[in-house]
Amino acid sequence: MENPIEAVDLSRAFGEIQAVDSINLSVSHGEVFGFLGPNGAGKSTAVRMLTTLLKPTSGSACVAGFDVVKKAPSVRKRIGVALQDAAIDPLMTGNELLRLQCVLHGLPKRSGEKRCKELLERVGLTLAGDRRVGAYSGGMRRRLDLALSLVHEPEVLFLDEPTTGLDPTSRMALWEEVRSLNQELGTTVFLTTQYLEEADQLAERIAIIDNGKIVREGSPISLKSAVGAPTLRIDVSEDSLEAARIVMTRFGEERPARRNRIAIGLDRGTPGITDVMKALEEDGLEVHHVELDEPSLDDVFADATGRRLEGGQA
Amino acid sequence: MLRQPQSWAPGLFFPLLLAAVYSSQFSKAVDIVGFPFQDVSFLDFVLPACVIQGVLFGSTNSASDLAADIENSFMDRLLVSPVSRASILLARLASAFMYGVVQAGILITIFLIFGANIAGGFPSIISIVLIAALLAVSIGSFGIAIALRTGSQEVVQSTFPLIFVAIFVSSAFFPVQLMEGWYGSIAQKNPLTWIIDPTRRMAIVGFSWKDLGQSLGIISAIASLGIGISIWQLRRRLVSAQ
Repeated sequence: MENPIEAVDLSRAFGEIQAVDSINLSVSHGEVFGFLGPNGAGKSTAVRMLTTLLKPTSGSACVAGFDVVKKAPSVRKRIGVALQDAAIDPLMTGNELLRLQCVLHGLPKRSGEKRCKELLERVGLTLAGDRRVGAYSGGMRRRLDLALSLVHEPEVLFLDEPTTGLDPTSRMALWEEVRSLNQELGTTVFLTTQYLEEADQLAERIAIIDNGKIVREGSPISLKSAVGAPTLRIDVSEDSLEAARIVMTRFGEERPARRNRIAIGLDRGTPGITDVMKALEEDGLEVHHVELDEPSLDDVFADATGRRLEGGQA
Repeated sequence: MLRQPQSWAPGLFFPLLLAAVYSSQFSKAVDIVGFPFQDVSFLDFVLPACVIQGVLFGSTNSASDLAADIENSFMDRLLVSPVSRASILLARLASAFMYGVVQAGILITIFLIFGANIAGGFPSIISIVLIAALLAVSIGSFGIAIALRTGSQEVVQSTFPLIFVAIFVSSAFFPVQLMEGWYGSIAQKNPLTWIIDPTRRMAIVGFSWKDLGQSLGIISAIASLGIGISIWQLRRRLVSAQ
């Protein structure tokens, strides 16, 4: 059976800007696929093409077995979409929006009403169902948005930055919801995010996108282990920076770091830290701060792009 | 409508206020030599224009709502659903029509309560409501094209003064026969004059298929242009939207 999401050399340009540059994707049934990248990397443009909202400049994509350009109406029947800006009319109540969504998807009135009730219960909004959405919190809006994308039991669910702007509790509640959807219903989920933790927690496989290109792809574990060595970061005074760099790079390759900080990938792994500290002490270099991190997706991103995803620090 | 009274209330209030002011200030205007109608009150004279004015004030509502839908991405929700693209546009035009029917109905009722007379009776009343609502659709379609092009409520609402000026530089509140100079010349060439004059004849003289046909013909021409531009802008948005 064909994969629910397949893209071949998918590209989109806006004038001179190449927003998405020849990406290839293959997402299998029941998979949660994470599309990770910083703001402006091309994640939303890719999702808009896969959800038939935007025509590609070149390349092709099939979603739920149908070409997104030639068979767009067939794709729309089979996908659920929760877009980045929680596209909901603040003047309507949660219940009204769900009923409208049922109408848009051609659900008969009676089964539509039943479905609305089930979905409100599923996302924990039964009591708020008759309140106007304008009075909902950010987390409630996102949960309603998720419910709206599920009315027609889609084969493929696209979540475009579903937790951006949410507090940690709401974020975790939404993650839990996505997990249970995927496990209970077997829905294939395509998730874009700029949060490393989100990709790490939810996705079985991720693709890292930067400047419109996919720079890494694989399971979070395989990507992290491919980066290899753990990162050792030390803070020294500005005067000792060059001397410390010479010492440290004897123990591993330098990695991107913020000002007055040096980071290396420790070739010998965690035990190697003793040797580094001893060498720095022998050269009379004063260390202000030490950090040792096992590889993270941020390291994977830094390794692929030379930049950090979160806050530009390393 | 109940949730957003600010969107339709001005369309009722301002024409009624203007009608009250004009009827009290210009009541003697009907006695001026050359006034095209005999034995009518100024209230009777301004009734069709006030109805059309009220409905046109509300005609930007649908476009403004569409721009809001684009701004808050609700439009995207419609576009990723299996409904046809045409129905998204048609729904907005149908909403403009319904707004127009309700507003025109309420305005005519208020005028009749305050003593206005519609000589053509029921057929004329229906014609005035139909003309007003279809004019709201045709002018509203330009607003929809602007909403699709810009996706901005502010830009759509900024077109409102143009409608206001277009009504005033027409035969809406004074007969063009009595206007002079450039003002009269523009008013004579204003398509709103070609719509208001036959509508007014149906209110004051009596129902006529010819007058109804003239009004609807001009409205159809305006609507064809406006809807054509809207379809073009919708297609353009679907291809190039970021």
